[in-house]
Amino acid sequence: MFSKKTTEQIKLETRPNKIAANSFYNNPKYRGWIYQAFLALFLIGFFYTIVTNTLDNMAAQGIKSGFSFLNTSAGFDVLMTLIPFDTTDSYFRIFTIGILNTILVSIIGIFFSTLLGFIFGIAYFSPNFLIKKIAIFYVEIFRNIPVILQVIFWYTIFNSLPIARESINLGDSIFLNVTGLYLPKLVGDPGSAYVYSSIVLAILCVVFLRYWAKKRQENTGEQFPVLPTSLAILAGLPLVSLFLSGVPFHFDYPELKGFNFKGGITVIPELMSLAVALSIYTGAFIAEAVRAGIQSVPNGQTEAARSLGLKESKIMSLIIVPQSMRVITPMLNSEYQSLVKNTTVATAIGYPELFTVFAGSALNQVGQAVEIMFMTLAIYFLINMVISFVMNHFNKRTQLNSR
Amino acid sequence: METRQFKPLPDKPAPITTAGPIAWLKTNLFSSFFNTLTTLLISTALIAVIPDVFDWLFFSANWVGTTQDDCVKDGACWVFISAWSQQIFYGSYPVSEIWRVNLSLVLLAFVITCSFILPVHLRNKVSIPAYLTLPFICLLFLEGSYLGLEPVSTDLWGGFTLNVLIAAASIIIAFPLGFLWALGRQSPMPFARSVSVTCIEFFRGTPILALFFMGSVMLPLFFPADMSVDKLLRVWIILVLFMAAYMAEVFRSGFQAIPKGQYEAADSIGLGYWQKTLLIIFPQVIKVSMPNILATFIMVFKNTVFLLVIAVPEMLQVIMSALSNSNWLGGHAIEGYLFVGFTFWVSCFSMSLLATSIEKKLDTSHQN
Repeated sequence: MFSKKTTEQIKLETRPNKIAANSFYNNPKYRGWIYQAFLALFLIGFFYTIVTNTLDNMAAQGIKSGFSFLNTSAGFDVLMTLIPFDTTDSYFRIFTIGILNTILVSIIGIFFSTLLGFIFGIAYFSPNFLIKKIAIFYVEIFRNIPVILQVIFWYTIFNSLPIARESINLGDSIFLNVTGLYLPKLVGDPGSAYVYSSIVLAILCVVFLRYWAKKRQENTGEQFPVLPTSLAILAGLPLVSLFLSGVPFHFDYPELKGFNFKGGITVIPELMSLAVALSIYTGAFIAEAVRAGIQSVPNGQTEAARSLGLKESKIMSLIIVPQSMRVITPMLNSEYQSLVKNTTVATAIGYPELFTVFAGSALNQVGQAVEIMFMTLAIYFLINMVISFVMNHFNKRTQLNSR
Repeated sequence: METRQFKPLPDKPAPITTAGPIAWLKTNLFSSFFNTLTTLLISTALIAVIPDVFDWLFFSANWVGTTQDDCVKDGACWVFISAWSQQIFYGSYPVSEIWRVNLSLVLLAFVITCSFILPVHLRNKVSIPAYLTLPFICLLFLEGSYLGLEPVSTDLWGGFTLNVLIAAASIIIAFPLGFLWALGRQSPMPFARSVSVTCIEFFRGTPILALFFMGSVMLPLFFPADMSVDKLLRVWIILVLFMAAYMAEVFRSGFQAIPKGQYEAADSIGLGYWQKTLLIIFPQVIKVSMPNILATFIMVFKNTVFLLVIAVPEMLQVIMSALSNSNWLGGHAIEGYLFVGFTFWVSCFSMSLLATSIEKKLDTSHQN
């Protein structure tokens, strides 16, 4: 239906309303300021209510405020500490212990989840049908089960291991029983400083070698076998200094004394189950990321590399992996961060990481929820910022290398 | 003269070395020495393990009975699950009132189905209000006292249905909030943008367990002293905020996927900001981010199990208290945890399959 309106009418209707168009509230800039003023008012009101309510409630319940509680004695024991601890030590010591335990389990978890993730992510592309199916099974099963259930499951498994006298024995040096995993500990005797310094020297040599080899390749086009040489340096230098200084090391083996093992390194079942569950769970997500990363490299890249005459082994390391890392690294970043956040599930089994020991036990005793939660969350933000910083740095490098 | 006609011989089957099961075996399992070796190793391991596992799980398992004494065979004691099944699925919700929980679930399924099968012109007008009111209707209905039904305290709610309902109620409310945060994050207004970014980053950077913990110890301090807010309600608030932050990031990546021409086209036909956002951009954002929305939902659904830490009787918490029941001290932990794991696995895996199929269906990108 066409309009039957006269030209005059159309003119009247479509004539811009000059007064409205120029008015104050139709200017997007001023409008934005008005909206933001409303938002600011709302936020001020919101926080004012919260703060006054909190202060009133805390006064009514007789809860103190401030950080002075950090210096008072905690008065409870902690299951596992990396630094010496006594029940008379302060809450600040508890806080430090919690942070160290969180970092410990995060590092173990990040290491093993990356290992598992890359193994299963690459296994997806295996020509072997069974390996491929196992990789798919691993990813689909473990990523769809809540991580807290997996932690509790492994904890139950480790708690049903045999008692110390009947512990599972691996070559009289590694023992596994209901109280934990016992590993031999490497102890340095006098003279071991030579070996340590030779390790540092070897690393410096390798860094220099890589730099030199890259320069040489850029200038002359000749490749230098960097990997075998650096492996030889890394293994050789410490070995030579080890034998020159007369092997200044001995193992401290765990031994059954009374009802339990003494000596060596003890891994408590809480730490074991948390590390196992987090590694397997996050590993499934990383495997998926690796798979997506490798799939994101177009097949043409492989074909182009072949037509240039590169060897099959070189194609993977020079063409496919650097390009897939561009996709994998950002995903690794978020998986590592969620792993650190997921260490809080330790509270279900009582592994004394930051959340359990500080936001749990300490908060129960002190009651200063606001301060304690603030400190705890600040640490998680800090750890995640460090991870993000490192991974972004790595990401930039992989991006530069691939262009 | 007789014409001779060319008669082709029937096709020969492909040689068995290139097609058929033998060829499949050769390429997929025995293509090289190393492959053959791994195949043999894995098959031996599987043959050694699988019969025992199946035997424990099914053949010598105990299926019928009501008490622990009925578990006489050495296999798994599934009697434990069947005896506690009502608590596992409904918590301590009164038996006579369980139809209310079921009806809420049916209502949820109904609204979801409606949003897919309704004709396009009705879809937005009916589905969006239905979704947004559903959590509140279910809340009133399950609690009951305002509707003249028998009141059921929220302490009694529990089990797997609680996991499902609280996750669903959270995503529904988190949807508009997350969208608002995502809009704020890319708005030209500096203050609104920084507020949105702070909210998103705070709730994304905090462990969900710490948030639940804050909901249980810190949130009561924020309310006036004479106002006691129900624990489940506080958990709901926390879950909504947590999910909104993740949804905001999902929407942001959705916004980035919309070509700039869409904004310009909307501007050039004279649409205002909200018209442009809701009528042109929003439907396209929903479309491209549907798989990610489902992935977020799966994540939050799995995270509802974390509620056991603050003693909300969700599924795993029910299992754990059943395990410490004095009549069932026979060590049925493995059966219980396997059952919880299986239930969550089935739910999450089917949702992730759905997400993949939606992704394929919606993939209208111009790839050649």
